[in-house]
Amino acid sequence: MNQDAVIFKGVRNGIKIYIDSNYRSEQIMDSLKRKIESGKRFFEGSEINLTFTGKKLTPDEQQAIIDLISREIKIGSITFDIAESTRPSADPIEFFDGIEEGMTRFVRGTIRSGQLVSYEGNVVIIGDVNPGGEIVAEGNIIVMGTLRGMAHAGATGNNNAVVVAFSLQPTQLRIGSIIARPPEGEVIKSLYPEIAYVRDGNLVIEPYLPSKGK
Amino acid sequence: MGEVIVITSGKGGVGKTTTTANIGTALALLGKKVVLVDADIGLRNLDVVMGLENRIVYDLVDVVEKVCRLKQALIRDKRFEGLYLLPAAQTKDKTAVSPQQMQELCEQLKEEFDFVLIDCPAGIEQGFKNAIAGADKAAVVTVPEVSAVRDADRIIGLLSANDIMDPELIINRLRIDMVKRGDMMDIDDTIEILGVDLLGVVPDDERVVISTNRGEPAVMDDSSLAGQAYRNIARRLMGEDIPIMNLETDEGFLARIRRFFNSNRKRAL
Repeated sequence: MNQDAVIFKGVRNGIKIYIDSNYRSEQIMDSLKRKIESGKRFFEGSEINLTFTGKKLTPDEQQAIIDLISREIKIGSITFDIAESTRPSADPIEFFDGIEEGMTRFVRGTIRSGQLVSYEGNVVIIGDVNPGGEIVAEGNIIVMGTLRGMAHAGATGNNNAVVVAFSLQPTQLRIGSIIARPPEGEVIKSLYPEIAYVRDGNLVIEPYLPSKGK
Repeated sequence: MGEVIVITSGKGGVGKTTTTANIGTALALLGKKVVLVDADIGLRNLDVVMGLENRIVYDLVDVVEKVCRLKQALIRDKRFEGLYLLPAAQTKDKTAVSPQQMQELCEQLKEEFDFVLIDCPAGIEQGFKNAIAGADKAAVVTVPEVSAVRDADRIIGLLSANDIMDPELIINRLRIDMVKRGDMMDIDDTIEILGVDLLGVVPDDERVVISTNRGEPAVMDDSSLAGQAYRNIARRLMGEDIPIMNLETDEGFLARIRRFFNSNRKRAL
């Protein structure tokens, strides 16, 4: 499946189509045609913005794609991204940004050492995260208990993501591209819920209930 | 070109990780460039004992899977220059690495470091096979208990089957008072059964527990008897000839050992 010449990926304002530069243009057109035909019903009735990326296309190839697509579906706009990127995952600009409203996974129970919860969205843990346990979310992370393990929010690069826990005592915290660890020495046990977020490139931790702590 | 030493035991809980941390730190104290490799994938501990857990970003599995470069995964110790840790992955298991990959990794590390110490997992399965794959030498850790010695014997056999000849023995957690009462196997009994050279004897010392929980190896504690024993082991690994009987600097303790051996010999006659 992942050997397809083209890959469709939903993004905020339309669909991004990754073209594998290892394929010849006939193969690309063929694959594109099949994808659009199989998803015709999905595309029907809506105006879609398409962005092509992954391969530098010649003007002829671009025209051929426009012709092919406009025959089949209604298009809002077509953009050809000249930057060559290989695979969707290798695209550093793309990240999950549904942190205000988006997909969320709920996990009930304690995340123990060696367990990894990884999700392409927000994660809510109804329980504790013990040392050695890892939570990796593309969005926010909420721990309805004590966070003692490692949490990585905004794992695909969203520095606006937050980590919230009833008791925040992580081994290590990561938000987006920023990695932080607690200061050496005495362990401070927080007695109130706290939020961790990025401010001016630094990871800061604050109580999120203004009446608690100072 | 450095030396790769695997620290193994067969039995769990005899102090492989503590031994690795302490010998590594002692070697670094003596000015050597040392890397500690945690081969216990899925049950890592060495990072905790070294107090470096919160610095882990990449691990051994990331290195062999080429997610990162080797340099990126090496954690520099916070106290000693020349001391590094290559942590194990915690969310994977032993099958994440092959002996072949470990061998390549050891070759790479040997170029950079004087000593590569591999903390072997308990057992004789995949994890053990991975840990010994790239080793030039082995140090077998045991405690003076029949079951631990039995497992150590099995491990020595497996090591020689894998062309790691003449492993050296570390007897850990020896309690002189119990040996004296005849409640614990003594050094001679143990060596006689296993038929290998002795690398060191580490007395039972509650300071080890304290320092392990703090993430500070016992060798850093000058007053720790066990710490002294580990420092001596490190010097032996560097080729210095330090007699086992001089293990303890504490004269009283030394005298007690000597007296014990003498009385034992008399009993044997």
